[in-house]
Amino acid sequence: MSNITLTEDEKDVLQELMNVAYGNATAIVADMLDAFASLSIPNIKIMQTAELLNELHDLKGDSYFFSTQAFAGEFSGESAFFIDNESAQNLALHLELETDEDLQDAILELTNVLTSSLTTRLAKEMNTEVKFSLPSISKIPLNEMDQNDSFKEYSQVIVIDTQLNFEDQKINGEIFILTKDGSIEWLKNQLNNILEAMM
Amino acid sequence: MAEKSTQQYLRSNDVNEKLIASIDNGIIILDEELSIFYYNKWLEIHTQLKEVDVLNHKIDEVFTNINGKTLKRKIKTALRMETPTFYTATITKYLLPIKINQLKISGFKHMRQDVSVIPFDKEKRLVALIITDQTNVTNTNNLLQSNIKKVQDLNNELIKERETIDERVILLKIDTNNLITQTSRAYTDLLGFDKESIINNDYFYLERLQMPVALKEEIQKHQREKKVLKFEKVSLTSEGKEICLLSTLVPQYNQSAQHIGFIIFSENITNAKLLQEHQEKLLRNSRASAMGEMISMIAHQWRQPLSVINTIIATLKIKKELDILEDHLITSSYNRIEETVSFLSETIDDFRNFFKENKELKRVPMHIIFEKSNNLLRSEMEIYSILYEEDIDEKLLITTLQNELVQTIINILKNSVDAFKENPHDAQKLTVKSYESQTCITIEIEDNAGGIPKDILQKVFEPYFSTKSKNGTGLGLYVCKTIIEEHLKGQLTMRSRDNKTKTIIELPKNVVVS
Repeated sequence: MSNITLTEDEKDVLQELMNVAYGNATAIVADMLDAFASLSIPNIKIMQTAELLNELHDLKGDSYFFSTQAFAGEFSGESAFFIDNESAQNLALHLELETDEDLQDAILELTNVLTSSLTTRLAKEMNTEVKFSLPSISKIPLNEMDQNDSFKEYSQVIVIDTQLNFEDQKINGEIFILTKDGSIEWLKNQLNNILEAMM
Repeated sequence: MAEKSTQQYLRSNDVNEKLIASIDNGIIILDEELSIFYYNKWLEIHTQLKEVDVLNHKIDEVFTNINGKTLKRKIKTALRMETPTFYTATITKYLLPIKINQLKISGFKHMRQDVSVIPFDKEKRLVALIITDQTNVTNTNNLLQSNIKKVQDLNNELIKERETIDERVILLKIDTNNLITQTSRAYTDLLGFDKESIINNDYFYLERLQMPVALKEEIQKHQREKKVLKFEKVSLTSEGKEICLLSTLVPQYNQSAQHIGFIIFSENITNAKLLQEHQEKLLRNSRASAMGEMISMIAHQWRQPLSVINTIIATLKIKKELDILEDHLITSSYNRIEETVSFLSETIDDFRNFFKENKELKRVPMHIIFEKSNNLLRSEMEIYSILYEEDIDEKLLITTLQNELVQTIINILKNSVDAFKENPHDAQKLTVKSYESQTCITIEIEDNAGGIPKDILQKVFEPYFSTKSKNGTGLGLYVCKTIIEEHLKGQLTMRSRDNKTKTIIELPKNVVVS
């Protein structure tokens, strides 16, 4: 388990950066969905993976679509997107999707759009580049989540609660950016560089 | 120098073009409206379409399976984000319908593809579709998934079976030091102890109060020899109730065949034991009541010979007083008395033999069985004018426990005689016959003493059921059925029609009694 933690100042900078990146993602999602959409101001938390698993335990949904996408570079890790059944059905309705496969493809696309645009922008703000792997999706009951060993590989998680608001319906989801110690150290460095430049 | 010239050569040639031509991926360049601008060699080979034939055509017109709306959305998003969007083989399966002919890929008709939609030229609004063959990976993945499913199913089955065993099988495991390592729920539920209070306790210490020393030594001997042992023992529940267990000690080994302890499986035989004790008690009671009945039969049987002796003695006495007693009369009287006394003695012998514990199989003629049965009832039948008819082949032999069969027949005959007493009429008849088939010997006893109503007939073999107005213990037929079916391994049935009742005993020819 990692001992690296972010200071309050570092967290503030990260929050700012995430806000910028998130704004960018909102616009892209709106374009993708070809509709007016707004994303609520994100609530961003940074926590240890163990805390995240505890938090997942507290969620009382029957099943969620869970998609992940790995990214590589100086800042590397895996982003994950949770979307509950009801929100997924709303997405299907909006995009006039007919089959389950189309729906899953659309969720992957949404994952890709949200996490790529967020992570790319975040990387850009910190003067680096990231490359994305293909996303993958599974539909799993939450109580099996802590059996997902890949989660335990990571030490820190940036959690972004998000809500896409359409004119007539809502799509709720949660984005997690999971990172390992090496990347957190790099991130900490970059955040400090930005902090110094601001002084 | 050589290195430098190679580098110069590579720079003077279009490396990218060469690589793209030989790369093991499909590459298509499209604009936002899905028109094809580039179609590489890999695709020409796999789709059997030449680049010249598809250029400037819309991809969803060349491949009609493609959903143009979705693809346009992905292109637009990729260009907007400046990062790729994707199709995945696991979800979309394939974008281009490329047929595959590999034998080992049995499940798929078309190549499974991952497709990356890469922003290629933002100004010209072009994207490159990179198509990767994922058939083998997807196939392996599917096989893996189906095997995972099988393993999960098996696992679920195992868990269920384990739960059933835990719930139903009274089991405990001990290690080589006799410390209890595991107990089933059935065990703790039966004895009313907490699992925690039993685990890590010494088995013999736990059982010290109820286990006889000899049994403990026997178990320990089998433990040393690592042999299976079946034993009966009493255990006490947490409430102090006695439970009778039939246990089996089985040595336990781990995967490397190393001896790690013993499993003790047990069966709760408390109820069976109680039933057995109850039956034994009933049989004892029935013997006592049979003895009483037989004594009254002997009294009947003796009345006539005793009066014969009495008459002879009186005659002798009168003749002596009148002084007309002749020697030949004395001799004939002695002989007559001797015969009669011998008959009386035989009756007593029969009675005594009958109550001897004799569990040995004997081969006897069937008519002898009936003779012995009738000895005690004959005079009663005469008194009540019951016509007795017997149809038994003199050569018919039976291997049986003689006393038990005689007791049963007496009981049945006596029931008929009693029925006639309660329901007398002019043509009272008792018929017995016996015959053999290939596998069994049948005895039929029939009376015309009025019959038995159907609802009563169903209950006659129940213990303590009696229709007799007095002195009926209600054990007679229940005991008869127990003897015939459990001791002699035969069958006893009763039918009643009109005013007749027929009792049928079927006995196996090759009898192995318990």
